[in-house]
Amino acid sequence: MPMLTCTAKSKTLATAAFALAALSLAGTPHARDLMIVGFGGGFQDNARPHLFQGYAKATGQTVKDDVYNGEMAKVYSMVKAKDVTWDVIMVEAPELVRGCEDGVFEKIDWSVVKKDKFIPGGTSPCGAGSVLWGVTLFYDQNRVKDGPDTYAKLWDTRTYPGKRSFRNGPKMTLEIALLADGVAPADVYKVLATPAGQQRAFDKLDQIKKDVVWWKSGTQPVQLVGSGEVAYAVGYTGRIARANDGGAKYPLLWKTLVYSVDYWAVVKGSPNAKEGMKMIDWITDAKPLVALSETWAVSPANAEAAANPKLREKNPAMLSAYASQGLFIDTEFWVANGEDLEKKFNAWVAK
Amino acid sequence: MASRTHLAAAALIAPVALLVVATFVVPLAVALHTAIANPEVRETLPATSAALAGWDGAGLPPEAAYAAVSRELADAQERQQIGPLARRLNFEQTGLRALLLKTARAHAGLAPPYRDALAALDPRWADPALWRLLKRNASATTPLYLLRSVDLTLTPAGDVARAPADEAIFLRLFGRTFEISLWVTLLCVLIAYPAAYTMARLPQRWANVALTLVLVPFWTSILVRTTAWFILLQREGPVNALLLALGVVEAPVAMIFNRFAVYVAMVHVLLPFAILPLYSVMKGIDPAYARAAASLGAPPWRRFLRVTLPLSMPGVAAAALMVFMLAVGFYITPSLVGGPDDQMVSTFIAFYTNNTINWGMSAALATLLLAATAAIVVVARYALPGVSAKGIRL
Repeated sequence: MPMLTCTAKSKTLATAAFALAALSLAGTPHARDLMIVGFGGGFQDNARPHLFQGYAKATGQTVKDDVYNGEMAKVYSMVKAKDVTWDVIMVEAPELVRGCEDGVFEKIDWSVVKKDKFIPGGTSPCGAGSVLWGVTLFYDQNRVKDGPDTYAKLWDTRTYPGKRSFRNGPKMTLEIALLADGVAPADVYKVLATPAGQQRAFDKLDQIKKDVVWWKSGTQPVQLVGSGEVAYAVGYTGRIARANDGGAKYPLLWKTLVYSVDYWAVVKGSPNAKEGMKMIDWITDAKPLVALSETWAVSPANAEAAANPKLREKNPAMLSAYASQGLFIDTEFWVANGEDLEKKFNAWVAK
Repeated sequence: MASRTHLAAAALIAPVALLVVATFVVPLAVALHTAIANPEVRETLPATSAALAGWDGAGLPPEAAYAAVSRELADAQERQQIGPLARRLNFEQTGLRALLLKTARAHAGLAPPYRDALAALDPRWADPALWRLLKRNASATTPLYLLRSVDLTLTPAGDVARAPADEAIFLRLFGRTFEISLWVTLLCVLIAYPAAYTMARLPQRWANVALTLVLVPFWTSILVRTTAWFILLQREGPVNALLLALGVVEAPVAMIFNRFAVYVAMVHVLLPFAILPLYSVMKGIDPAYARAAASLGAPPWRRFLRVTLPLSMPGVAAAALMVFMLAVGFYITPSLVGGPDDQMVSTFIAFYTNNTINWGMSAALATLLLAATAAIVVVARYALPGVSAKGIRL
């Protein structure tokens, strides 16, 4: 009965109270947990106890983590709508540079994050280096006894028959074509910046086009080689090493390394921006990274951790040990030329 | 009384109308606007735009424009606002991004007169073409995204021209998208028709079983079904193993990363969308008509051609439209089992949305895809025999 006799007055009061509550919720940046977002997978599963919860334990701050697949649309929408629910986020280099210029990431507070602990190339105005990643040529030694160990040899379809697999896109693939054509790693981007150089890369790819299977996602190259779909592939070293841990026999050909760095960044307008900077400093320190290496073969962008002999022994596929043999992907080049080359690549591939 | 009924009717329709406005009309308007919006130069370089407004486009612009541009670029870089502008102008002409960033960085060290200082920094600042490009983009709208989506482009002077052959991909892409969609639609209807025909004639108990068999894959994630085909069709997969064991082929057949795989997987994914409307229409055809035709001496083939087929045409039209419109927007399936020559427009919409944050381009492609699909559907409505005669109003 009291429900039904509810007077107009009390109804108004209730409405007012509700509105007030709603206002106060919207008005104050409510203290929510620190949200860190990565690409998921094995790295994140192992980073969770050692890095994320390690920081939580050290500071008393509650940390939660989430997964995204590197697509920036959500981050841009979040910043545009001023409803930022992610604080710290792992991003690839081109997305970092672009997002920094677009005001989607905060500039790193280098008074909080110690800048001198990173390897060369490990810092950017809006990002602090997290891990290195790279691709190399590989094949299954159970199927192919003696495969090609350079990109030049990979183009020799007579000596090395069978399908080859490359990334379906210009990035990495065009560089590899030029390397195969004898361009020195130091000159690759100089050549690729010219129309003639781009033509040279496409001409080189033309020579083996009919023998190529193109992959889209990082899981595919290992799958394609593992199932015998292709004989040789260019794939992510982390996944190749893990396949080897699982009993596969894929040689890691470091002379064919093409690599880059993933960074930690703070999303612009995050109510936890200050806390985020502190967290980035903590999770890029050598100590938690060495602890992480106990359960996960990590290639850190922290110089001390990268030089740690124990860590190198744990991770024979540590990229920083082979960086001098490889090609460092030029982020600025791809930010400036990516869209154009993507179109040219698609026009070429459909020819 | 009448106005009251009208009010009640309006109130009943309101939720649906609101839903349509919120989920269709508004996003569509936003997409259309994004496809032609051109805010970057106006917002990031307001003083430069103002200085260029009075310039007639002949020779070099006034010193005021030179003085404003490097200051505003440096300011935008400081405020982390230079990105959209750099990307927008680089989209117009590759290489401009580097020029803008270089100018922004150099600003602190420049001294008047800025016309000479900028020309010394980079000769492109002494080229009237660059300034005409800036002036042209000070307007609030641009046709460039829509032009690029059909393999056209704008010259620095602002004339429409053909895109260079090695960058012209979109017309081919649209053609491929509709080609794949039409074949998938045809295959789906051809397979679904006899299936729905049989189902409609089964005893109720068995019809329910058949319906469940159609619905279970319908409810299964499209990703799971596509991945299943990936496993089945691969080089050392079960299908190839079977063909080898039976001696049909001597070496594994390439059945994946090509158009064949795209058709197989897309037809499988979309088949329920064809079977269900066909089934519901055929279920509603009174068997008395066929019996009447039989009693008048029509043989089975004539009964089918003259009675059942015309009566089932609304179902065929509904099935075809449903499958076609879903197929046009496909993305996951071609991307997983197709080769690089089998990708559809959605792949590029996703690429521009997520990878390069060029939302003008994704909006332009989406708008064109929608317009082309709508046009095809309208044409089909008049072209499909017997459709407009009975039901299926669009």
